[in-house]
Amino acid sequence: MSESTFMGVPRAKISWAPVIDYAKCTFCLECDKFCPHKVYEVNREERRLIVAHPEHCVVFCRACSKTCGPDALSFPNKAEVTERIKALRKEGA
Amino acid sequence: MKHWGILPCNGLDKPVGQLAREIALNLAQDQSKTLACPVLLHSAPSVYAKTKEETQWVVLDGCNTRCASKLAAEMGFSVGKKINVTKLVEKENLNLGHSLRLGPEELALAQRSAAELAAALPSTRTEGEEEAAVVRDEKAAGETDLDFPASLTYTEFRQDKFRFRVPEGEFFFNENDCWVWVRGTRARVGVSDYVQQSLSDILFFSPPEVGAEVEQFGVLGTLESSKAVFEVIAPVAGRVLRVNEELEGSPERVNENPYEQGWIAEVELTDWEADRELLLDAQQYLTYLKNKVADFHV
Repeated sequence: MSESTFMGVPRAKISWAPVIDYAKCTFCLECDKFCPHKVYEVNREERRLIVAHPEHCVVFCRACSKTCGPDALSFPNKAEVTERIKALRKEGA
Repeated sequence: MKHWGILPCNGLDKPVGQLAREIALNLAQDQSKTLACPVLLHSAPSVYAKTKEETQWVVLDGCNTRCASKLAAEMGFSVGKKINVTKLVEKENLNLGHSLRLGPEELALAQRSAAELAAALPSTRTEGEEEAAVVRDEKAAGETDLDFPASLTYTEFRQDKFRFRVPEGEFFFNENDCWVWVRGTRARVGVSDYVQQSLSDILFFSPPEVGAEVEQFGVLGTLESSKAVFEVIAPVAGRVLRVNEELEGSPERVNENPYEQGWIAEVELTDWEADRELLLDAQQYLTYLKNKVADFHV
């Protein structure tokens, strides 16, 4: 499964994962079919896709959003995440 | 001598699809271009069998489902240029709303985009011009201040049917599978074997703009196959000096060798010492890659 660290920082401390805009999501599940890292889970009863395992998401990867027809997926700001990783490295996280 | 053809999104049910069709119609006003019907192409590909061989295609995707791109890949079309209308609309800061009828603003955008696209299409070359261009291209390929090695040696390993190479020597990698080779204040950047194996046949390369400033972990262009679109994650910050123009016509070079003829771009470095701290050397990347491909999915 996904690596437990990224650039020497515990993955769990890095906030990087897709955010679903449910107003746009059409439940086509293309992103879930695409992602090999099992970031998403599907709630079929409620017809709702969930970011169930954000820590599995590869930091800086946005490939699933490129499969999203209605453009319902967004990601955090890369520059801010990079700065946070550098700070965590300095703290010896 | 090849001419240009247009393969648009069918786009009846979405505003971005309607806009893709409108751009295609504007582009097709020039009678020298073939306009392909995606539905007919899908159900009766033989109709386009002859045209396919003689044509370089402009692919117009409406949304990120990329139906037109996937169809082009499935049919083995040679794609020379492509646009994604969703991205175009975002760039223009235009709100298309829900109506399938295009308004004056959208129609104007379609006209303008088609004109810009037509102007950006390289003119078709005759056979003699092709030969001259090859000589020029080879010369251009050798013109660099970088003293990049003429040949590389690799450490290789296999996982199932896949072969992974990591070049020995002064290569550094980020954990997003992109490499950098540095000489002084300049560097060459590319992707690793992991990327090209994951994508399979790479069909299209969108280069970064020459002169653009890129942050470390910013985007240095995209590589696209029928499976996915991969953003090249910059291992270093800097200004783009040069892109590998050969990839625009022959993106398969990345599959052939992403470390040599399949390099992506060259950059003037901003702060190599700071960037270096967040990179792996070749030996560290090899260890990282071996662990990663244990979970390799294709």
